[in-house]
Order: sequence, then C-alpha cells, then structure tokens
Amino acid sequence: MKNKSKMTAMFSRPEMGAVLPIIVMVVIIGMVNPNFFAVRNLVDVARATSYSFIIAAPLTCLFISGGSDLSVSAVTNLGGIVCGWAMASMGLPIPLAVLVTLAVGVVCGLIKAGIVVKLSLPPFIMTLGLQYVINGFVLVSTNGLPITGFSDSFKVLGQGRLAGVYWTIIIAVIEGILIHIMLTRTKFGRQICAVGGNQETAKLAGIDVNKTRTIVNVLVSVLAAFCGICMASRFNSAQTTVATGTEMTIMSSVIIGGTSMMGGSGTIIGSLLGCLLLAVINNGLVLMHVSSFWQNLIFGAILIISIIIDKYRREKSGSGL
Amino acid sequence: MNETVLEMRHVTKRFPGVIALDDVNLDLRKGEILGICGENGAGKSTLMKVLSGSFASREYEGEIVIDGKPQTFDNVAMAQSSGIEMVYQEMNMMLDSSVAENLFVGNLPGRRGWVDYKTLYANTRELLKQAGLDLDPGELVRPLNSGQMQMLSLMRAVAKKPRILVLDEPTTALTDSEVEILMKLLGQLRDSGVSCIYISHKLEEIYKLCDRVLVLRDGHTISCYDIDKVVEATLIEEMVGRKVENLYPKTSHVCEEEVLRVEHLSVPHPNIRGKYIVEDISFSLKKGEILGIGGLVGAGRSESLGAVFGQYTNHVKKEVYIEGQKVEINSPKDAIANGIGFVTEERKRNGIIWMLSIRENVAVASLDKITSGMFIDGKKEEEQVKELSDKLRIKAPNLETKLIQLSGGNQQKVILAKWLLNNPKILFMDEPTKGIDVGTKADFYQLMSDLTKQGVSIVMVSSDMPELISMSDRCLVISNGRITAELEKEQINEINVMRAAIAE
Repeated sequence: MKNKSKMTAMFSRPEMGAVLPIIVMVVIIGMVNPNFFAVRNLVDVARATSYSFIIAAPLTCLFISGGSDLSVSAVTNLGGIVCGWAMASMGLPIPLAVLVTLAVGVVCGLIKAGIVVKLSLPPFIMTLGLQYVINGFVLVSTNGLPITGFSDSFKVLGQGRLAGVYWTIIIAVIEGILIHIMLTRTKFGRQICAVGGNQETAKLAGIDVNKTRTIVNVLVSVLAAFCGICMASRFNSAQTTVATGTEMTIMSSVIIGGTSMMGGSGTIIGSLLGCLLLAVINNGLVLMHVSSFWQNLIFGAILIISIIIDKYRREKSGSGL
Repeated sequence: MNETVLEMRHVTKRFPGVIALDDVNLDLRKGEILGICGENGAGKSTLMKVLSGSFASREYEGEIVIDGKPQTFDNVAMAQSSGIEMVYQEMNMMLDSSVAENLFVGNLPGRRGWVDYKTLYANTRELLKQAGLDLDPGELVRPLNSGQMQMLSLMRAVAKKPRILVLDEPTTALTDSEVEILMKLLGQLRDSGVSCIYISHKLEEIYKLCDRVLVLRDGHTISCYDIDKVVEATLIEEMVGRKVENLYPKTSHVCEEEVLRVEHLSVPHPNIRGKYIVEDISFSLKKGEILGIGGLVGAGRSESLGAVFGQYTNHVKKEVYIEGQKVEINSPKDAIANGIGFVTEERKRNGIIWMLSIRENVAVASLDKITSGMFIDGKKEEEQVKELSDKLRIKAPNLETKLIQLSGGNQQKVILAKWLLNNPKILFMDEPTKGIDVGTKADFYQLMSDLTKQGVSIVMVSSDMPELISMSDRCLVISNGRITAELEKEQINEINVMRAAIAE
C-alpha cells in the first residue's frame, strides 16, 4: 500500500510526465513494426537522444533561470562549420580546432547574454534574430557548401564507440550527471533557481543576477557549438543547415520534461525523458512509413500541447492549497 | 445648489478575511466639491471602485442612487454612461499616441470609421487651453512629464462632460503652479454644475477647494462636515482615532552605542527628472533599538530603506556608517556583508520565490554559510533552517513545502527566517505585518522584541498606527521625502505622527 502511494507520487512529478507517452509510443510502434526492438534500431534512438540531450541539458538550466534560446540550432551549425574550417582550411590539429570552436561558442553566448541580460531585452525574439544572423553568417561564409576532407581520427567522436557504446552517448550521460549535480547540489545551481523563481528576490538576497544569467547563457552556446562538432564528425562533413529546425524539438523536449517556461523549476532527468520521447516518435514515424512531411505537423503540435500542459501544471500547483 | 445627484447607501464590501467598507453612506449635491479624507487603508479607494463600477454590483452590498433612481453598475462602462468619470492616481496614458487621441480615446469625432482630425484638433486645443497646457494636439505623450500627463488624464475625463467627476489624489505628481491651474479648473467645473469627489491626504487642499468633507476610517463613515464648520485638528483626530489593542509585548532594550548612521540620503524619482523621492535625510540607529518610520504611502519611506540597502543605486547619494565605520553599499550583497537584512513590503514581488520550498527560500540569502567547497551541505542547511522554522513557528507540513501553499503570515515568517539565518546586526522591516492575521502579528511583535533583546537593531516602516506607536522606541515621520518629525518614545502618538505626515 505504502509502495503504491510512493509509485503514484513518483509518477505525478512533473518530470515524469513523459514516461507514460514513451510507453504508449513504444507499444504502438512495436505493434506496427516489431523491427523497432532490433538492437540496431534501439541504439539509433539512443544516439539521436544523445545529440538533442547534449543541448537540452544546459537549456534546462537556462529555462530554470527564466531565459530562453532559439539560437541553439544556429550555434550548432556554426560550431560544425568553424571546426571544419579550422581543420580543413587552417590545418589546425583536432584538439586545437575543437578549442577554437568552443571559444566561438563562448563568444556567441556572450553576445547573446549582452543582448538579453545586459540590455534586458526579451530573450525569445532576440535569440530568434540571433538565429537568423548566425545562420546567415554560416551561409555567407561558406556559400552554403559543406566542408569536408577531415583526417580519419576526427570520426571517432561521432562514429566511434567505447565497448559498443557511441562516444556521444557516453558524453551525453556524463554531461547530464555533471549538470544535474551542478543544479541540485551547488551554490550556483541554487542561484539559478532563485534567479528564475524571482529575480527581484534573488537580487535582494545578494545574488548577482546578471552574472548568473550570463554564465548559463554561455554554457548553452558552448555545448551547442560542441554538438556541432559531434555532428560534423558523425557525417564526416560540416554542413551548413544540419541542425536547422532542431531548436523547436529541443525546447519541446525540455518543456515536456516538466521544466517551466516561466523559470524557477525543472530537472535534467525530465529533459532526458523529453528528448527520448521525441527521438522515439521520430524513429517511429520512419518505421511506420509515415511520410516525412508529417513530421513538422506532429512536432509543432507536440510543442503546442507541451506548453498547454505546462500552463495547467503551473495553475494546478498555484491552486494547490 | 442643494439638489442631491448621487447617494451611496449602506455600502459594504468584503474581501476574504477583511471588511474594507462597512455600511458606508455618502451623498453628493449638484455643483459641489466633496472632499474625502482618511488614513492609508481607510477604504477611500475601495469606495470609489464601487462607484466607478470596477466591482460588479453583486460583489458588494448597498445601493447607488443617481437623481433619486437606484442604479446597478456591473462594469465601468455602465457607470460612465451615467456620467461618472474617474481620474486615478496612476495615469493610464497611451504613451505612443498623440495628445488629441489620448484626450478623446473612445469618442473620436468622425463618420463611418474615419476620424475627423480637424474637429478633433480643434476640440483638443480648446481643452488644452482650459488646462493651461502649452501642447500641440499632434504631439506624442511619451516625452511629457508626469504633471502634464496628470493634467491630460483629468482633461480626458472632462472631455466626456461628466456630471460627477472623481479625483483620487490628483496633485501628487503636480508642481505648485499646476496645482493652482487644477484648482481653478475644478472651480470652473463646479460653477458649471459638475459635482466632484476629491480624495486627498492634503488637508490644505481640502480646505481650499471643497465645500464639504467626509472622513472615513477603517471602512466606516465617521463624519461629514461643511468645511467652514470644522477645524483641522478635529479632522486629524477623526482620521486616526481608534482603540489600540494590547498585542504589543514591547520592552525596551536600547543601548547607548550607535550601530548605523545614514547621512545625506537622496533618492531621485525614477521617472521624473530633477525630482527627488527622498531629499537629503539623515538618521541614526542605536543597538537594540526599534526605529519606527511613519508617514503616508508614497512619502519616500520604502525608497529610503531600499536605497540604504543597495536595492536602488542609480544617482542615489548617501553616506552610511556602521558601528562608526564608513562603508560603501553598492548592492544588496554589500549590505548583507555588512550585517543588514531587509524584510520588504511586497512579499510576492520581491520577498518570496513561490515555486521553491521553505528550505530553499530561507537559505537563499545565506548560501555561503551552508556551502562547503563547491557543494551545498544539505545536512547543515536542513538543521539550520529547521531550527529557525521551529523558533518562528512556521506552520507547514515540512520544510519541502512550496511557498505558494503557505498563508501570507507564514510566508512573512519565512522571509524573516531568511534574514535571521544570516545573523544580522540590523534589520530593515517594511510594513512587516501588512496583510497578515492578528495571531501571526502578535508572534511577529514578540519576535521583534526578542531580537532587540539579543542586540539586533530594527528600522521599521509602518503605516499601521497602533503598531508604529507601540513598537517604536523612537519614531521618524517622513513627508514628501523629508523628515518632518523625530519623536521620542513618549511623544509618539497618533496626532503627532499624523500632523507630521501631512506636513508640507
């Protein structure tokens, strides 16, 4: 009896909201096409999850701090291109190229923070603008052409495995654990929650609100740029629009995972489940031979529904007593 | 002249837990100006909200009678169609529209959806001339100063040719010469047969302008006088006179040593250039003392505390000495490092974080204290928060309870606990018991008394007269950004405070 109520309590937590839909989707897809359960396919799902989760984890922190970022996909595109350019055109060794790319990520994060934090402008629309600027820059500087011709050792990151597990999955797991610990156990994590929960209160409690928001913004852009490196490595070529459009699915994953768009609350595990759900759906659409034209429609609907759920969740907790 | 245009009969308005208006009666005659005065929270604004239709008629009891006919107003438009216009303290201007559009919003002249700008501008010029405003009808409103905007919002109401005009503290943003124009204008309106209700703290204005005056206190109608038959002292007495219940376990623990001295504190107005909310005030605080700060809402009391605490820094001038040492406070962080805590007035806006737990809320201002190395010491945090929560008797299922689920009084205790966790030497408390129930209030007063016994010093801003009188060891009264009285314990009484609070 007590166990049962514990179970109920666990599943009523907002971050567990994605569990039931995942189970439902898995059952439906598995019934239509049993190939879903093939090890190869499950690995594909996990791999797809890892790419979006690498960005979703820091984005969760940003949402908790009350921010938002539509420029992540553009920074991912930029990251791949910069890394490819550094290796193929400048002839830099791989570690140096990666460092240059991460530095570009830091710069993107600082520019974004300068706009939304320092000038305190609305993040949603400003990062949309930034997305266009960065994507435009990527296209102008490459003429829209992919960059190729990397050394074989560059492939390890995106294609290599350790004991049968893709490196990106291992990296995503480690990153997730670190960010989870940061969010729940450190002073900085507590400051993120306070700033997103109530900026005025946080400021009066002696927290440097702008500094906290800036660091979280930079973290998101750096990891988005890093994800770009992983993608370039995976496809052995840096493509200008490889991540275009993913910002919406990643944001949906975070919100489905129980993180509020209004700031103050959210969990990394929830975002992981959100990423997994969208990866399962995406994979299922292919396996069930649904036309890829349906994808946009379905993902758009999921985004809208997840935000509606977020609203009701907040209202419910608001009238909780 | 004696014909009654408006009567409000037996109006009672309840909010959850509070009766804001209790059987209030009012009558207004044709072509007169009726002043309404009373303390903060006496019910003046609520009464006018009833009249303006801001509350639907089923939300209150009582009757509104216009020209002898009972009316029911369910929204503002219904009240307006009966000829009632309000001019509020906050000016709801469309900042990026022209002066003319603002004045005639809702009834622009024209035909078939087209605006007749020629007529509009001509009508506007006439109104502007009446108001003594040297503005162009096509000018945008945004760059205007707040005095001009206040005059515009008055003219917007006048443009609708109301029969009953209600003004709520219309002169707070006006300069002396603008006040003159306003007075003249209201005089003209009265002569043309318009009836006015004029709400003000400033008795001087009431005497100059009004024909009769109505006093409200704690939601009751206290009295109504012809203005030439009542002296100022009587009005003040009636505004404040009420029984003081004994819920104040105050004992004095004032020591000789000075813990805080603030000199030459000036805080500029955030919107009006060249105007100061607080102008060159100085005060000091002794160890174990409760320094009360009285005055009317908007006199600059909260801003003074916020400026010392580092909440406002823009163009603030101040010198702060703590235990005789000059200190620089440029942010709340500096203030906290110097042992100051700040229980703010609006707990929803800048006191609590509603979606976080009691534990997280209490710890938020003392994260350094519970952090060892990189990580928060969960056990230490739990112990220290638990100890405070027990001491303050915070009522909640456990420390993980979210703040939104607590009552206002318990939320307020959480805010106090947040600052006590830091072991402050000095506590700023802005309206510490606003909106909390009597039982919790008594707890709060006991805690404040205990704190001063332990050597903590408190600066308390309060609009609650009995609280201010009973809890303060010494009391400053601020009016219009200046200190108008410093009262020793035995001098602190309602009359002295009120007199200083309305002093110019």
